This record gives sequence, structure tokens and C-alpha cells, in this order.
Amino acid sequence: MSEVIVITSGKGGVGKTTTTANVGTGLAQLGKKVVLIDTDIGLRNLDVVMGLENRIVYNLVDVIEGSCRMKQALIKDKRYPNLYLLPSAQTRDKSAVTPEQMMKLTDELREEFDYILLDCPAGIEQGFKNAIAGADRALVITTPEVSAIRDADRIIGLLEANEIKQIHLVVNRLRMDMVSRGDMMSIDDVTEILAIKLIGAVPDDEQIVISTNQGEPLAGKSDSLAGQAYLNICHRVMGEDIPLLDLAAKNSFWAKFINLFKKN
Amino acid sequence: MSQTVVLKSNKYGINLILDPDVGFEQLLLDVARKFEQAESFFKGARMALSFEGRELTQEEELRIVDMITRSSSLSIVCIIDNDKLREQRVREVMERQEEEDAVRCGHFYKGTLRSGQILECEASIIILGDVNPGAKIISRGNIVVLGSLKGNAYAGAGGSPMAFVAALLMDPVQIKIGDVIGRSADKAFWPGRKKRKRQEPDMDPQVAIVKDGNIYIEPITKGLLNNL
Repeated sequence: MSEVIVITSGKGGVGKTTTTANVGTGLAQLGKKVVLIDTDIGLRNLDVVMGLENRIVYNLVDVIEGSCRMKQALIKDKRYPNLYLLPSAQTRDKSAVTPEQMMKLTDELREEFDYILLDCPAGIEQGFKNAIAGADRALVITTPEVSAIRDADRIIGLLEANEIKQIHLVVNRLRMDMVSRGDMMSIDDVTEILAIKLIGAVPDDEQIVISTNQGEPLAGKSDSLAGQAYLNICHRVMGEDIPLLDLAAKNSFWAKFINLFKKN
Repeated sequence: MSQTVVLKSNKYGINLILDPDVGFEQLLLDVARKFEQAESFFKGARMALSFEGRELTQEEELRIVDMITRSSSLSIVCIIDNDKLREQRVREVMERQEEEDAVRCGHFYKGTLRSGQILECEASIIILGDVNPGAKIISRGNIVVLGSLKGNAYAGAGGSPMAFVAALLMDPVQIKIGDVIGRSADKAFWPGRKKRKRQEPDMDPQVAIVKDGNIYIEPITKGLLNNL
């Protein structure tokens, strides 16, 4: 049984593309056959984060317009043989595709893949409508900031209105040191407002910047807390019940020592 | 050509303003043409009709109604006399009735109202869930939120200052009751954990009412409820 999952946030820059790349890579590591679709037509970058830009010949719009076959446009990942990318077009815009065409496209891919991940563009316009059209479930990405949470709330309302029943939350870029100081919203603060089920929390991690720049997703890398967090999200996407990572684990002895005093 | 027939809508239907100087038969044809043009707009609507600008006999009124029903799918429920006083009284009674209904009857809504969502209702509204910032509830009657009210609430939307807004956690962006608007104090949405802890008393169920032209938010007490 295959699932179509849209990764969305409303606000830009909170980590939709990074999450798509890492969750996709993680699911592939866990043995699933996965395809990532970049639906951000005109502003494509999932291929860059995946390090596959140089392999693009055909794209999403070519497939939809019938200029090529699906097989020709799908790019096989260089690390995992069961991971594929369908890149977006850079020279067109969102109006090149309709929600009906997207549904047809995802239905075609269902036959071959276990997971179809859709990287949604920011905003709530045509691109968003296209991305959610064929989705069974959604991962809503937010950071613990009021602006991102406000947009996530709006997005959740729109997803519910479009009858996407399974909506999960990913809190990205958590800084546990700030949370423990009381200067950043905690996971609980965020879930209290958004009132949907949490599927994972990813710490703010320098390694992510490095991995994005190098086109090497972090998922599953044991030396990175964010990579671990992403792999845990993959397990939970597959329906396993895994406890949340202790994100404070990397705090140094001194940080814990100071926090101890601050609490009193 | 000047317009011999002008259509104006009012709260209960349409007002037909007729030219007093043209012949009645010509006027009748103009009425027919007017309604034929507006056919797609009215399409099957049910409305009350009133006349203005010209004295009509009962027979003439009937012929106009007949012409309207023949030239469009509009159905005329009744003719309202152009007697200002009586109209005023009919209006008052209808409005009072609507307002009483609004206060007495309520609709339940289960779930969280999220940013960008608007819940609008003639009757009072009871929400089983939260109203998040950016969401809006509008009711002619009262609003009760069994959750946190963090968005906008507009009670007594018909202009009634007697309506109230109650919530388990009262932290609205704006509350409007009747014609009075109140907004929250200027503060951060999330002021930081420690600062927030000090505001703990705000967690009590509270109710917003209008007193002396201002909105007051007070804890719900038995005495207050008796006065609502």
C-alpha cells in the first residue's frame, strides 16, 4: 500500500525541502521505495539539496505535458537505488500544472512506490493547491516562532478543509538551550496551540547547513542529532511508536550546571 | 432614455421606484424589461415587494406583480405598504424577534478554529475547542468558547449591546459586542515562559460584557451570570 505525503508549512524557510530530502532518504534507508516530487515550479531546489542537479534532463512539467515518459524524468539517487527524485521545472511557473494533473501524476506513481513525498512551495496559492491535491496525509513543518506557527495554523485549517485527515506536526530548529532558559517555545507550547499530533522534533544543527550545501542528506548519520531525529520521524511515518529523542543530550555539563541554578 | 423603473433592494426584498409621469401601459412594459434583464440575478428568489414614487390602485399593483412573475422566476411573497410608520413597526418587530431568537438559540461547533477561518452564525455560538489567532467568530447572539479564545470574537452582531462573550481562557486579539470594540493590551504573543507564569490568574473562565460603552472582561461569578 503506497502513501502520498505532502510536506508543507505555509511560511517559507522553515525547512520543508530539508525535511523532504531527509525523510525521503531515511525511508529509503529503511528499505522503502520512495519518490520525492519537487512541486515548487519556478523555484526548484530539492534537487540541489539532494545533490542531483546535474542529472536533470526532464522535469515535472515535461511529464504532465506529455513531453516525456515518467521513467525518463525520474532521477535515481546516487546513494540509494530505491530513492528517486522528480524535479520541478525552473523556467515555468505554478500555473503550468493543475490539481487534477497532479492527482493523475501521483496516482500513476502509487503503482510503483511505497512513499511519494511532495515538497510543497511556501504560500497558499496555486502551488500549494497543486501539491495537496493528490495527498493522503501531510507533515506540517514549523519552527518554534510565532510567525511560523501562525502560518502553520492556517495551513492546518486549509488541509482539514481539503479533507486530508492525517496531519502531523514536525517542530524544526529547536534550540534546547533557549527552551530551557524560557526564551523559546517548547514542543508542548507549540502543540498546545496547533492541536495536532506531533511526529517529530528536530534540533537546530549546524550539520544541516553543511549537509544542505554539500547535497548529502543527514538522515541516519549517527554523529548528528538532527540526522537521528529525521530517521526517527521516518520510523513514525511508517507507523512505529518511537519515543522522542532527548534533544538536550548534547548540552554540555556546564550548560546543565548553569540551568540547574537558573531553575531555582 | 431616462429610467422609468428603478430597482432598489432593501432588507426584506426589493423596492420598485416608478416614474409618475409615464403612461401605465408603458410602465408595465418597462417593468417587464427590467426584470427580464435581471432574471439571472434574481433566479427563483423569494422576496417582498414595495412601491415608491407613484400612487397605484390595487388593480395596478396586481398587474405589476403579475408582470414580474411572468417575466422572471422571482416569486413575490407579499407587497409591503409604503406606509412609513407601519413599515417601521414591522421592521422593529422582525428585528426584535431575530435578536431574541439569536440569544435564545445556539449552535455548537466542535473543533479548533484556525487562522483565516471565520464562523458566522445568526444564533449564539458555543465552540468546543480553541479559537486561534487570526480566526474570527461572528454571532448575532452570544459566544461561548469552551477552550481558549485567542482570535477575534464579535457578539451581538445585529448591534445588540446585551450580548456577551465567555471563554475558559480569555486572551482575544479583539472583542466586539454590539458596536463597541475592545482590543487586547499591547503585548507579545509569546512573552517567554517565565513572564507568562506570572499571568496565571488569567486562566480563570471569564466573560466579556458591555458596561457604560466599554468592554469589560470579568471572572465568571454567580452574581454576574444572573445579570446577563
